[in-house]
Amino acid sequence: MIQTIARQKRISRILATLTLVMCSRSALIGQNQGPADTPNTGTTALRVTHILGFEGISSNAAGDLFIQGDALRFRKTQGVQAQIATDLIRNVTVGEQDRQVGGVPMTLARSATPYGGGRVVALFSHKKFATVTLEYRDLNGGFHGAIFQLNKGEGQVLVSELEAKGVHINLPVVGVSNQNIQESKNEVK
Amino acid sequence: MKSNRKVSSTVLMAVILMMQPALSIRALAAETRAAAPRWSVQLEKIDPANLNIDAAFRVAIYENLLDEVIKTKQFKQVLRDGDRNAQELQNLVILKTTVESYTPGSETRRAVTTVSGATKLRVRNRLCTREGQIVLERTSDGSVRFFGGNLRATHNLAHNVAAALKHSTLPDVMPSVRD
Repeated sequence: MIQTIARQKRISRILATLTLVMCSRSALIGQNQGPADTPNTGTTALRVTHILGFEGISSNAAGDLFIQGDALRFRKTQGVQAQIATDLIRNVTVGEQDRQVGGVPMTLARSATPYGGGRVVALFSHKKFATVTLEYRDLNGGFHGAIFQLNKGEGQVLVSELEAKGVHINLPVVGVSNQNIQESKNEVK
Repeated sequence: MKSNRKVSSTVLMAVILMMQPALSIRALAAETRAAAPRWSVQLEKIDPANLNIDAAFRVAIYENLLDEVIKTKQFKQVLRDGDRNAQELQNLVILKTTVESYTPGSETRRAVTTVSGATKLRVRNRLCTREGQIVLERTSDGSVRFFGGNLRATHNLAHNVAAALKHSTLPDVMPSVRD
């Protein structure tokens, strides 16, 4: 009898702990998803990585890129924000990049893998990203450039939104395969 | 024991005396460099010549070059292309960068083969006065051979250009009427 009561108590404790863990996890997920949607902007907030160039934002910062009113805004996860007026943007170019994933830890792990196993891992640990390059002028007329890295296919979303604002877009040349460009070595004599 | 101490203190004194002139010369050089009127520089947009170079590369070269030139502290002011403040500056040189060669690489090829897939860049830099007189001309290279993304080549290139600028001597500035 005493054993049964003890077992029931233990089960109820486990259940309570599980419920607590589940609740806190769902709350955390809710917090993370909040800023990515940015419902008050009217446009889609894209999850991007700022490679370089956007003033006031550090390189390789992750955040959301969205259009709000007449400005293109970048909001870092920690809340730091920067923006440029869309009428200052002179040119937008969409490109594609093939990158190894995992950063420095993955590179070190690959290097440490024996019997050339790291090379085999490298064959499969790459991912294609879209890059969006913005060329704009500041209020003094100074030239600026900023590069953002997006998930493949998302570049077009941003481009169409900017196009709607009257920004000039440079699309990649159709018909010239990426491989051909990569293989060729260009030189000016 | 006593003689040992005496010897070591003599050696220490000798070392201090030998180092003093070198240190003072260095301090003097730094002082004169800081006191001397310096040039300001305006960075022109990267000229791709007739090469099929990605816009991301052009922009990355420009932004990295700007950062590296600022880091050298060689110039009074570093201005961007088209900056209207440049019109008011007395001693201004313009840095023109033309891409001479560009070999696009692949990060995956570098990771898999080690020996191939390098991204290489070569640019020609000309430092000109407003009147078009060339003050300095250099060719610099930047590449990424092993680790890092393709755009890292632009960072290395900018670093090399800035180093070349730092180690070159600019002509003395003309004293302005205002001075």
